[in-house]
Amino acid sequence: MNPAPAAIDFRANSQQVPPSMPGAVQKATAKFLGNRAALVDLLGNDLWQQLRQAGHEARLHAITHLDAYLIQAEQAVAKAGGHVHWARDAAEAQRIILDLARRHHVKLAVKSKSMATEEIGLNHALEAAGIRVLETDLGEYIVQLKGVGPAHIVVPAFHLSKEEIAALFREKLGVEAPAEAQALTQIARQKLREEFLAAELGISGGNFLVAETGTIVTVTNEGNGRMCTTVPPVHVAVVGIDKVVPDWESLTVLLKLLARSATGQKLSCYTQFISGPPRSEGETGPREMHLILLDNGRSRILQTPECRETLLCIRCGACLNICPVYNSVGGYTYGYPISGPTGAIFAAQILGTQAAGSLPFASTLCGACNDICPVKIPLTDILLHLRQRVVEGDTLERAVAPAVLRAGARAGALALRTPWLYRLGGRVLAWLQIPFQRDGWLPRLPPPLNRWTLARPFPAFQPGFRTWWRSRVRAGSRPQ
Amino acid sequence: MDTRSAREEILGKVRDALHRTAGASVPPVPVTARVPPRPGGPLEAEITQLLAEIEKLTGHTRRLASRAVLASALAELVKTEGVTKATLWTTPDLIAWDVAGTLRALGVTLVSPQADKQLVAGCELGVTGADAALPETGTLLLRAAPERPRVVSLLPRVHLAIFTPAVVRPDLHQAFAENKDAGYSVLVTGPSRTADIELTLTLGVHGPKTLYAWVMDTP
Repeated sequence: MNPAPAAIDFRANSQQVPPSMPGAVQKATAKFLGNRAALVDLLGNDLWQQLRQAGHEARLHAITHLDAYLIQAEQAVAKAGGHVHWARDAAEAQRIILDLARRHHVKLAVKSKSMATEEIGLNHALEAAGIRVLETDLGEYIVQLKGVGPAHIVVPAFHLSKEEIAALFREKLGVEAPAEAQALTQIARQKLREEFLAAELGISGGNFLVAETGTIVTVTNEGNGRMCTTVPPVHVAVVGIDKVVPDWESLTVLLKLLARSATGQKLSCYTQFISGPPRSEGETGPREMHLILLDNGRSRILQTPECRETLLCIRCGACLNICPVYNSVGGYTYGYPISGPTGAIFAAQILGTQAAGSLPFASTLCGACNDICPVKIPLTDILLHLRQRVVEGDTLERAVAPAVLRAGARAGALALRTPWLYRLGGRVLAWLQIPFQRDGWLPRLPPPLNRWTLARPFPAFQPGFRTWWRSRVRAGSRPQ
Repeated sequence: MDTRSAREEILGKVRDALHRTAGASVPPVPVTARVPPRPGGPLEAEITQLLAEIEKLTGHTRRLASRAVLASALAELVKTEGVTKATLWTTPDLIAWDVAGTLRALGVTLVSPQADKQLVAGCELGVTGADAALPETGTLLLRAAPERPRVVSLLPRVHLAIFTPAVVRPDLHQAFAENKDAGYSVLVTGPSRTADIELTLTLGVHGPKTLYAWVMDTP
């Protein structure tokens, strides 16, 4: 078992957002959304909606017959000469990779960006075992040098200025670094080139796993994904069991949706298809290929039909880009490598509502995420369902609200249907609030009502409505 | 702790969650999960679109009418890019067009792709063919095999792909149907790029910085 993760306090985290963050976030998200919209226009909305529906159906078909497709994928990978491992949880996945690293005397591992390895905290586990592990996606490399996690699943370091990155390179790499994107990229290329050639282990995720042929599909722009899976002698891919797609025909649909939704490209620069290690001696590439099929709570998500579609996600990041909450606070506030609406529903289920119960509330439920999702995940429905679970203490069988809420709701119902009680209540409340009132606001309320005032003041109770209404009716005025 | 293997436990949980039994059949993928491929056009129009898309991605394209034109184009490229060392595929097309001989005559040292990876990484130029080309996206599909090593299109600073119009396909659907049996393949859509630093487009992060795509019109 994993140790219980510390609870994520979204509200407290949101107080820590640096003032520069929202501007940086909105610059990035506006650019991605603009590029995406232009490509959707180019295809035509009808074709785009047809693609979304097809993507939804292909993913849904895969996860509702997941056991069969996993077995098909496993057999195909094994037939192609790859090794398949199954990991129930993060600890088991870490153990498998550590064993592999020890067996191959690995001192340096290179990694291409993978949300699954972020999820299992792989870097910490490898470093604790004395193995150096390097992120090789430029953005991930930068945030790793800085000692923080990704702020966005597609562009992890977008919130840092080139001046900050140049200072970071000077400090950590000991090189002269001008504050210019091209020069900084070339410095990273040179540094990482040496590391790629020296590394004994390459680690990747997988955007998709095609059951038909046991093919791991990775989608990248920089080429680091190709380096990690080609240059080191051993390649291990950590892939969530939800990443399986039935066949290559399904893949055509999903690839057309993914890059357009993520960065507004028709296709990302490099899409790789890896079916086992190289098949003959003369071929370049790793000698060994391992695939780790990671559950880590995904099978539990499948149990609840209302939440099942959480697993359709193809991690494009479009729902982050469109989300008004994400745009105001950025990725770190979510306290989890995957942020935004899709991160909120995923983390709340993977970590449990005890640890991540604040995340389903980090949404205005405006529904923009539903409309933009390329595989039509009903994000707000799932957010609402999870809110219910958080409130009910995560017991699905009995709909039990906390005693205070139930008592409050009952008292409210009674007052609303008993006019004299309603009038009396109005007077008593007006009197009761006097000691708390400051300039028409209630900055602090006693528990349990302080759940509200911890975050924002409560407007002072205005008792004069009935008096006001009577005077209006007498004056014969109309509502404005 | 469950004593079953991780595999059995995960598959068991998945089946319980989905109310499925081991070995239960799987219906075919629904037809609504399919989209028809993009209809192709006349070959000339397709090639024009392909090259235009590659140019948009900052690739350099050319159409070569003969082997003599290929030789002069190679001479130009070697000069522009300052090529001293190159590595290349040994596919029938590249052999027939004598790319290796032409480069050698230009004073370029050829490095075997099977050589030490440090040596291959030291090459300025990697020459490959392409197994499919997709006009809509400006994409090239490259299969791997012993005579077509994947490092050639990855490690050198410049990637040159030379192919005939015969490899043009309307959409991913046809390209996948023909190549899904490959042990390894890659779709290349423009040179290596990133926008990770302040969203500034920067080329040549880890893969090639420059992509040349040449269409050989007479085989």
